Amino acid sequence: MGRLASLLILVGLAALLFAAPEHEAASFGRPSGPEQTLPTQPLAIVVNRSNSVDDLSSTELRRIFLGERSHWPNGRRITLVMREPGEPERKTILRDVCQMNEGELKNHFLHGLFTGEILVSPKILATSVGVRKFVFNVPGAIGYLRLSDVDNTVKIVRVDEFLPEDKGYKLHVEVRPGN
Amino acid sequence: MRSAAKYEAAQSPVVLVPTVDRVLSAVLRHNATLLLVLVFCAVAVVGVFVIRDLQTANAEAQNIYAVSVQGLREIGELQFDAQETRRATLYALTTNDSNLQLEYADQSRDADRRVTDGIAQYMHQAKLPAEVLLAGRLTHDWANYLSIRDEVLASILEGSTKEAVSLDLSGGVPSFERVRQDLNEVKRSYDDQASQRLATVVGTSRRSAVRLIGILGFTFLLSSTAVWAIQRSRMLSAIQLAKLQMEFVASVSHELRTPLAVLSSAADNIADGLVEGKADLKKYGTVLQNQSRQMSGLVDQILLFASTEDRKRRYVLQPLEVTQIVDALEASTHELTHGAGFAVERHIEPGLPQVMGDLSALTQCLQNLVGNAVKYGSPGRWIGLRAFRGHAEHGAGEEVRISVSDKGIGMDRSEIPHIFEPFYRSPRVNAMQIHGTGLGLSLATRIAETLGGRLSVVSELSVGSTFTLHLPVAERERLEMSGVGSQPNSSKQT
Repeated sequence: MGRLASLLILVGLAALLFAAPEHEAASFGRPSGPEQTLPTQPLAIVVNRSNSVDDLSSTELRRIFLGERSHWPNGRRITLVMREPGEPERKTILRDVCQMNEGELKNHFLHGLFTGEILVSPKILATSVGVRKFVFNVPGAIGYLRLSDVDNTVKIVRVDEFLPEDKGYKLHVEVRPGN
Repeated sequence: MRSAAKYEAAQSPVVLVPTVDRVLSAVLRHNATLLLVLVFCAVAVVGVFVIRDLQTANAEAQNIYAVSVQGLREIGELQFDAQETRRATLYALTTNDSNLQLEYADQSRDADRRVTDGIAQYMHQAKLPAEVLLAGRLTHDWANYLSIRDEVLASILEGSTKEAVSLDLSGGVPSFERVRQDLNEVKRSYDDQASQRLATVVGTSRRSAVRLIGILGFTFLLSSTAVWAIQRSRMLSAIQLAKLQMEFVASVSHELRTPLAVLSSAADNIADGLVEGKADLKKYGTVLQNQSRQMSGLVDQILLFASTEDRKRRYVLQPLEVTQIVDALEASTHELTHGAGFAVERHIEPGLPQVMGDLSALTQCLQNLVGNAVKYGSPGRWIGLRAFRGHAEHGAGEEVRISVSDKGIGMDRSEIPHIFEPFYRSPRVNAMQIHGTGLGLSLATRIAETLGGRLSVVSELSVGSTFTLHLPVAERERLEMSGVGSQPNSSKQT
């Protein structure tokens, strides 16, 4: 009976995976062609102001965003906040942090949740304001925001010792007209 | 009042009418006016109290609204916002949509900000120790609840619904209950304050109503009494005037009848041929002459009194030497005093200044005083004429006083206020069969006042009386006395 349930869940997850839009899978990775000329803006990694963590390495950041690290050093549970699929910020995180495309990420989380390696799936929020408010409300939350969307309700963490304003900062999001 | 002002009360130990008597007399004679003044004062005083009460009630009513009613409204809003804080938090539990949960979290935080502001405002306004204590407890309890609320919200947003519910039940519910109780206590405090203030307003309004009823009743009573007193006073005045006029007519008739009887008798004797011889005829002629003069004098006095009724008789005022006045007086009354066997003692203070006056009028005025001294001066049969310097009333410099004294029957204190009234005749004098019209002193007073002076009297029963004419010093004399040189004004008309 337990095996049958597991099989059904796997089938369902596979169906969801295949139902993802084709263009999303195609847009993963660094932009090519004319898109490379678009201006960019730093993408800040933000945490709750009560969080004592100030600096994260690329590796730690990847583990957090892939749900492989579940707790902060103070013991507080990590709550991951993501934008909806297709948003430029999410694309940047997938490309530069998770180094996966949308499908691979979904598979990763489906697998992790199913096996119990990942405890909580990321919270999906529609807007950057929502991300900011969520991080403000949840002490263990971590998310990402364009630098222009950051205010003093959240705290920016360094990535590989770089702040978003620094020259060597790696995370940038494309600024498309209307974004 | 007029006659009361015409005599001096405290010139010597032999004071005729003390101040108390004067006041009592004035009270009796002007009771209606005093009653009206009393009514006015009472109404004014009570009115001030009533106005003060109304102002107090108004201030209390405004205070009730500003503090209690407004406070109750604010505390009602606080209670609603506190409930809203909790309600929005619990709503977040009902959904898995993080975006919706965030909206509820926002609502909760907006409401909690309003509550926090309201509590801070209450704490700022708290004055009484109990209020300060309550505000402190409310602030503390609200902060406790908010910290638990934040944890609950975080758990909800993290997706740990079970943990959120558990946290809320274990901490949120009791801490919010404490907040609710605190708010109810604040509300009760406002209720109590409002009740106390309302009781004050009710008490003040009741007191104002009682005072108003009291003052209306008092005013009505006193007004009625005043009207009654005025009517009674008028009636008594009319009766007194009629009585005086009757007495005057009787007196004048009597005064005229005596010489008329003599004239008639003498004429009859002459007509019947009973008078024979030149000597008898001369004697009858003298009698007729004297009686005619007496009648003429009486008629003149009556006409003079009538002419001074309006006190606008015009006299030619000129500076006069006092000796000149006394000489004229002595000359005009010599026959009278000598005939009655009176000794006249004259004393004039040397260096007296001139006075302003009309010699004829002054002589007439003083003649009345000397006539009275002769009439009422027995058994002393002594008349003292004295002229001296004195201080004018109200500190208006110096004046010259001419007094006429006698050692006669004197007057009782109760008679003094009335002797200057026209037609007044003392019952004691009437009983003593001393004839007169009651016009002499009234006429003398009018003349004195018309000349810018006044008349005063000091008298003691069975000892004698002293009437004093106070005359203003002539302008030139005043200037000389004050050391200011100026041209004298030799004559003046009033």
